[in-house]
Amino acid sequence: MAKSNPLKAEEHINVCEEQVYKRVFNETSKTIFNYIYYKFGNEEKANDAVQEAFVKLWENCAKVPPAKAKSYLYTVANNLYLNVLKAEKIRLKYADSTLKTTNESPEFIMEENQFKEKLDNALNSLPENQLTTFLLSRIDGKKYAEIAEIENVSVKAIEKRMHLALKSLREQIDGI
Amino acid sequence: MQDNYLAKWLNDDLTEAELVEFKKSEAFETYQKIKESTSQLESPEFDMDKAWGTIDQHKTKDETKVLILSPFKTFLRIAAVIAVLLAGSFFYLSTLNESYTTAYAENKAITLPDSSEVILNAESELAFSEKKWNENRNVNLKGEAYFKVAKGKKFTVATSQGLVTVLGTQFNIETREDYFEVTCFEGLVSVTINDKETKLPAGNSLVTINGNSIMSKAIVNSAPSWLSKESSFESVPLHYVMDELQRQYDIEVTTKEIDTDELFTGTFSNDNLELALKSISVPLQIKFNLEGNKVLFYAEKAPK
Repeated sequence: MAKSNPLKAEEHINVCEEQVYKRVFNETSKTIFNYIYYKFGNEEKANDAVQEAFVKLWENCAKVPPAKAKSYLYTVANNLYLNVLKAEKIRLKYADSTLKTTNESPEFIMEENQFKEKLDNALNSLPENQLTTFLLSRIDGKKYAEIAEIENVSVKAIEKRMHLALKSLREQIDGI
Repeated sequence: MQDNYLAKWLNDDLTEAELVEFKKSEAFETYQKIKESTSQLESPEFDMDKAWGTIDQHKTKDETKVLILSPFKTFLRIAAVIAVLLAGSFFYLSTLNESYTTAYAENKAITLPDSSEVILNAESELAFSEKKWNENRNVNLKGEAYFKVAKGKKFTVATSQGLVTVLGTQFNIETREDYFEVTCFEGLVSVTINDKETKLPAGNSLVTINGNSIMSKAIVNSAPSWLSKESSFESVPLHYVMDELQRQYDIEVTTKEIDTDELFTGTFSNDNLELALKSISVPLQIKFNLEGNKVLFYAEKAPK
């Protein structure tokens, strides 16, 4: 899922070139959408952020080197809602794995559902930066280094966030 | 346990020993469940094609911004600009009007492309487009001119004071400041002033002074008097007569204690100044003094 940045090898190439631009879009748009969604729990805001970021990138395509295109996009998307407070809960679905395990007992399924509900609540009570980092890792499969680049902090800081996120999720779920 | 071991565990970065120790902890079961459950999490649907569509639209709107200037393209741009300028100036020059002007005391005969004849009186200007002559017979006139128009399409004389249109005829137009006179010698002339059209049959004059039009029978022979070296006036304010005198002889005319709004009817010669001055002063009972190229008209002292 996570790929190393293939654009780095082609730094002489300009983002103004349609192909390059489209490739950056294909590789990055979904993550930007998710990133903003994790932060604000609002799909509309997330869609707008994708649009805003890519339009800005196009307007400044000559000034942004391809290797910097991704962090440019995240910065623009992030700045868009700099003054917006997170007000909404994020809602995430689970891939329906229960269908594949129909031989599970009803008790087990109920327990499973209870667990998921607890997990949902626990997730939504995480601080914004921990949640975003945690979900980028768990859902988008981003490596800590990649998340560090998106969030513009050190890898160590990302590890810390992951650790703390996991810790408080477990404490919430186990009622500690 | 090392720092942030939970993060390392998720990443499968724990050492064997650490993993064994971690698995023994009572919290491990919940951590394991969190790991499993969160691996099934999905983010909301993102319609990539739709997003691309909107962005693509925006992009094409500002397509100009994408142009990458290579030196060759710059050269092409400059070349294109020069080509446009050359073509433009050629076109401009080729459509530029033919123009004729006369100075004080000068007349000029002009033959138009359709062999219509125009005679320009002193201090006048005539312009027309030779290129477009076949489409429309349009001329611009400042001052005074006599037209002998060949039969054909509509012939239009545009002046600052009005439009004169004819099909084929002989007529005279005089425009001087707020004085506008059209005299028709043959055929029918249409005069349009401020969108008001007046049909002027042969032998008639339309005189407009300060916007007031008067149509009158003209003392007409077959051509305006100035063509036979005379200037004729009928009930024309004196200052227009003085102006004409000035134009015909290239002299400076001044007046003293004379009402120049007084109407003058008469004729003066265009090639004998002494005679012309008498033609004006005698009927009006005024005196004149000629010095070099300066003439002063002054009131005759009332006899005791």
